[in-house]
Amino acid sequence: MMSNDELRRRVVATLAEELELDPEALTPEATLYDDLGLDSLDAVDMVVALEKSFGMKFNDEESLKAVRTVNDLFELLIKLKESQTADEA
Amino acid sequence: MKCDVVVIGSGISGLTAAALLAKSGRSVVIVERTSRPGGALKRFVRQGVPFDVGFHYTGCLGEGDVLTTLWDYLGVRAIIPIRPFPPDGHDELSIAGYDQPVRAFFSYRRLRDELERRFPGERIAIADYLGKIAAICQKIPFYNLELPLTPFLRGFQEPPVSLCDYLTKLTADPQLQAVLASPAFLYGIPVARASLAVHAMVAHGFYRGAYTIDGGGQAVVDAFLRILEQAGVTIIGKNRVDEILVEGGVAAGVRTDRGQIIHCRDVIYTGHPSAVPAMVPAGIFRPIYLKRIQGLRNTASMFAVFAVAPDETPGEPDWVNHYHIPAGLAILPETARVPRTERVLMMTTPERGRLPNLKNNHRGIILLRPALWEEIERFAPTGRRSRPPAYLAWKEELAGEMIAAAGRYWGESYAALRPLAVGTPLTFRDELAAPEGAAYGAQHCLGQHNPGARTRLPGFWLGGQSTLMTGVVGAALAGLVSAGEILGLESTWEQVRQCR
Ligand SMILES: Cc1cc2nc3c(=O)[nH]c(=O)nc-3n(C[C@H](O)[C@H](O)[C@H](O)COP(=O)(O)OP(=O)(O)OC[C@H]3O[C@@H](n4cnc5c(N)ncnc54)[C@H](O)[C@@H]3O)c2cc1C
Repeated sequence: MMSNDELRRRVVATLAEELELDPEALTPEATLYDDLGLDSLDAVDMVVALEKSFGMKFNDEESLKAVRTVNDLFELLIKLKESQTADEA
Repeated sequence: MKCDVVVIGSGISGLTAAALLAKSGRSVVIVERTSRPGGALKRFVRQGVPFDVGFHYTGCLGEGDVLTTLWDYLGVRAIIPIRPFPPDGHDELSIAGYDQPVRAFFSYRRLRDELERRFPGERIAIADYLGKIAAICQKIPFYNLELPLTPFLRGFQEPPVSLCDYLTKLTADPQLQAVLASPAFLYGIPVARASLAVHAMVAHGFYRGAYTIDGGGQAVVDAFLRILEQAGVTIIGKNRVDEILVEGGVAAGVRTDRGQIIHCRDVIYTGHPSAVPAMVPAGIFRPIYLKRIQGLRNTASMFAVFAVAPDETPGEPDWVNHYHIPAGLAILPETARVPRTERVLMMTTPERGRLPNLKNNHRGIILLRPALWEEIERFAPTGRRSRPPAYLAWKEELAGEMIAAAGRYWGESYAALRPLAVGTPLTFRDELAAPEGAAYGAQHCLGQHNPGARTRLPGFWLGGQSTLMTGVVGAALAGLVSAGEILGLESTWEQVRQCR
């Protein structure tokens, strides 16, 4: 199973590459909307890119809506990873 | 030239958007690539016989239904001769390997009775299926006009349920499976990739009642042209928009292949989204978005035979659409490896409800069978006027095959049909600007995210069947949503629904 650090690195790499964001700007505190300039129209592409990169499904609307910062995204993916690995086991 | 809004494309989506905008006082110019407006709704005439291409029947035209309400609001309903199918109107589904056809009535109650009679051991499955379809649509504003539009369009959609998984678990009866999957023909997605929700949206429309229009799709186009003219909307034909002009980061106009430039504040594009990347200056959209809309998987294309019966006696007006379908979940082929002769064949007619014109006793008969782009790709580089003899010979063979099948399925007399025109994926690609000849635009399928009306370029909006939903109803609603984005989504919806 991927370590949490690896996961964070992969999130940054995916967002930097697919959404053309500056990797330096992708700090844990950065807010997706204000700091990174992503808007609701980018949400679909962001979700698709992350789902593809991690082979996981974002299946909970509320938790996705609550994401404000890059760190929130890390935390959500860590939780998803744990629950979806548990499902497989 | 200058206006408030340029609408690109004059299919039902563009006509609807233009009419809504004009009604709210916007000055509108429609730009259409071909010489005649109407897109897939246009009729064509061969040897005096009229044929429809993209409109054979539809749901949602009953009292209080969404299309009726929208057409009332726009003032076109009164000039469109809508005809409901009679109470026993139905699709007749002959299933390969089984004797007696199943009648798929355009009524929940009659359909349930027919299915229970034919599949007495499957009552639970039948009730589950019909109940689910109705329940799904109860939550969709286009079927439940009480609901607001914005949450449906902007809200997070629940993860879709696979139609294939659902039907496989529901019943093991290959004949019942075939019947329940058959509406997929009307949205062009193989069952393996279809979602239950999209299936429900199309099926529910028909289970609640089906309608045709005297004069076919052309009557709809003509009615819209009349009100658009009254509202001062200009239609520019024979001009293909090649470029969206952008100034200061917002849409500012369009440029056509003939060098026409129209300045405006908003642009609605209703063609296939895969053409957008080439029309918009680089750097406006993120590459991941461009990749997504360029790579959209398309719906099935069609082989179409437009024919007449050989004898001169007028046929009876016919209220039945005939389908010969494969058993199980194979209503649409996933690859071209499925032999053509094993695919569904549909037979329909533009003449219903009244006898054909007595001076012309020929009743048009249309045969449709799903086609895949791969099987025609070798002829792809050819244009409308440069098809090689090999293609023409192949087309003739295709028509012969379909007519022979019609004779086998529905009686000797159909084996003598005389084809007046034949359509293939190439025909649809070139006539309708449909990539890969897709009959219903991009698939609304599992794992694919179709673009919505809003884009990252302020003032540039998408409409058309590939955005919201397909079919005449889906494309009209996509037009409503794109105009609504400009005029105010919820207030537009509110005004429309007041016409119930
Ligand atoms: C064989 C067949 C049978 C069908 N049967 C039914 C049926 O029975 N019931 C039903 O509900 N639906 C049916 N459909 C589907 C239905 O016809 C379509 O979903 C609907 O008409 C699509 O409308 P639209 O406005 O989105 O696109 P279209 O009607 O395709 O209109 C798009 C228009 O935009 C123009 N255009 C594109 N790009 C440009 C450009 N760059 N510049 C200028 N103009 C441009 C095109 O020329 C075209 O006129 C059928 C379709 C086919 C092909």
